[in-house]
Amino acid sequence: MIKSQIKLPISVAFSVSFQGIKVRFARSVVTVTGVMLGIAFLMSILTGQVIKRGVAQEEELRSEVRRMLNFLAAEMGPVRGRTIGVVRNGPLSLQESRLLRRLSEGQPEALRVAVIDESENLRLPDKAERVPLSEVGSNANAVIVMGDADTQALDLRELTAGARYPMVCFTRQQHTIQPAENVRTVKLEREIPEDEVYRRIEQAGMERTRGIWIVVISLLVTVIGITNSMLMSVTERFREIGTMKCLGALSSFIRQLFLIESSLIGLVGAFLGAVVGMVFSFFAYWLTYQWLVFQAVNVGLLAIFFVASLVVGVILAVLAAIYPAKFASNMLPAHALRSTI
Amino acid sequence: MSLDAAKLEALFTPPAVAERPCVIRAVDVKKIYKMGDLETHALRGATVDIYKGEYLSIMGPSGSGKTTLFNMIGGLSKPTSGKVYIDQVDVAQLDHMELAWLRCRKIGYIFQSYHLIQVMTCLENVILPMSFAGMESEEARDKGVFLLKLVGLGDRALHKPTELSGGQQQRVAIARALANSPEIVLADEPTANLDSITGEEIIELLYRLKDELGVTIISATHDLKMLQRSDRICWISDGRIEKMAQPSEIDFTSNEFH
Repeated sequence: MIKSQIKLPISVAFSVSFQGIKVRFARSVVTVTGVMLGIAFLMSILTGQVIKRGVAQEEELRSEVRRMLNFLAAEMGPVRGRTIGVVRNGPLSLQESRLLRRLSEGQPEALRVAVIDESENLRLPDKAERVPLSEVGSNANAVIVMGDADTQALDLRELTAGARYPMVCFTRQQHTIQPAENVRTVKLEREIPEDEVYRRIEQAGMERTRGIWIVVISLLVTVIGITNSMLMSVTERFREIGTMKCLGALSSFIRQLFLIESSLIGLVGAFLGAVVGMVFSFFAYWLTYQWLVFQAVNVGLLAIFFVASLVVGVILAVLAAIYPAKFASNMLPAHALRSTI
Repeated sequence: MSLDAAKLEALFTPPAVAERPCVIRAVDVKKIYKMGDLETHALRGATVDIYKGEYLSIMGPSGSGKTTLFNMIGGLSKPTSGKVYIDQVDVAQLDHMELAWLRCRKIGYIFQSYHLIQVMTCLENVILPMSFAGMESEEARDKGVFLLKLVGLGDRALHKPTELSGGQQQRVAIARALANSPEIVLADEPTANLDSITGEEIIELLYRLKDELGVTIISATHDLKMLQRSDRICWISDGRIEKMAQPSEIDFTSNEFH
């Protein structure tokens, strides 16, 4: 019965803590800046990782597609003015769809695409025209087989019926070829030697370790930066907390007050920091890679990192404020009043 | 079975109430502050009874333990040994909820250095304890304005404490102490920073509270006028209570007061 008489509506707690931020505006700005810097650092590192990985993948993809095109050109001459038939045998890899696009950009006379597997929604490049499988080879300088599905059943003679030059290219090393008389077969994908495969795996592992290490370091910097600024802003208010205790505030109310205040500060600071860090990182990488940066980046992963650093910012700000606030509110009022921190 | 009429009568008659119930009783309160190896005996066993509706002044040189005694009987600090009873309840037995209730409803504190919340306006400072007590915001605002008018600061309600003089800040603190109509007002040098006219007004105000509402006033003070108006004076020196006296028994012209 006594308990019900000491209470504070949440709306009052909100207005008190909101006012606290407003009145101590300069202090709040400093605290927000502290949180912002921490999160900006974390976010710039994370964004850098995403960009770096994206750019590396993109560059490898490009060079691989370029190599395939060169290989094709070595067999049949430049793409320009030729007629090319494409058999889309199952879903395409990124590399294959890029190759298809580059073929259409190469101004061939015609790009005929026959689709065997209809299961997937497909978008063909502008130049390409859909044809039935029986017509894919007519007048063609080359027929290219792409896709995930098994190529064992393909009859190469049928594919090259009516072709100018009976040649079938396969885009993957794992495609099996059922050889046919008078049909030239070519594999466009490079065969990667075993030691290179090992080296790549090793390199990827090292890269990952280095990435984790730098993220952990930046997380530590963030933790220390945010904790420091939040601790400062709470400890200088010990007397205020003591006064409130003397006026009959419950410890839980004081905690509530600081919970609201610090989560607001944390949210604002973390949001600003995440934006600033991302923009800064994009700008820094833009200087080296130019527009490649924006094409290569994995937006989904970036969004996840953005949300993650928001969460990290808010949680750190709240923890760093709540701990000293709890400590102060559990003190005897007389001690809190005397404290001169 | 017949009942003894007299015994039955006695059963339903409330026990005779002592004429002056004891609001605060401190029994052999000791307080030791430890600073590393150094022990400071702020209180060396103070025993004092404070009765309901009395006006008690505590005086003593600085460092004599006034403020420590103050904190003990106000439930703001815990004694190293000894007991403090407020309304017959041992303060040490109360949980934090009940202590908060006590500080909120029962006792109004006035501090030597005001302890106003600097970032709030005067009115908000006065309203704060009422919000803690769960009062409706409109009612609290009206009461806050009324209290500020009572201490002569009706026109300064929306000023920040830093924009006011020391005396004005002290008056805001007094208004805040009265916010929840406490039964006990603990005042630590309430008139020390005031000019003599305002000081007298404050004394008059406290006196009226005591007279008309039966509020118990306990104040630490050196102010002669305040001492003269009080019911009892408690002398404290070096952590011990030296003597208790009525103002009439004391020669205010002696050297001790100048």
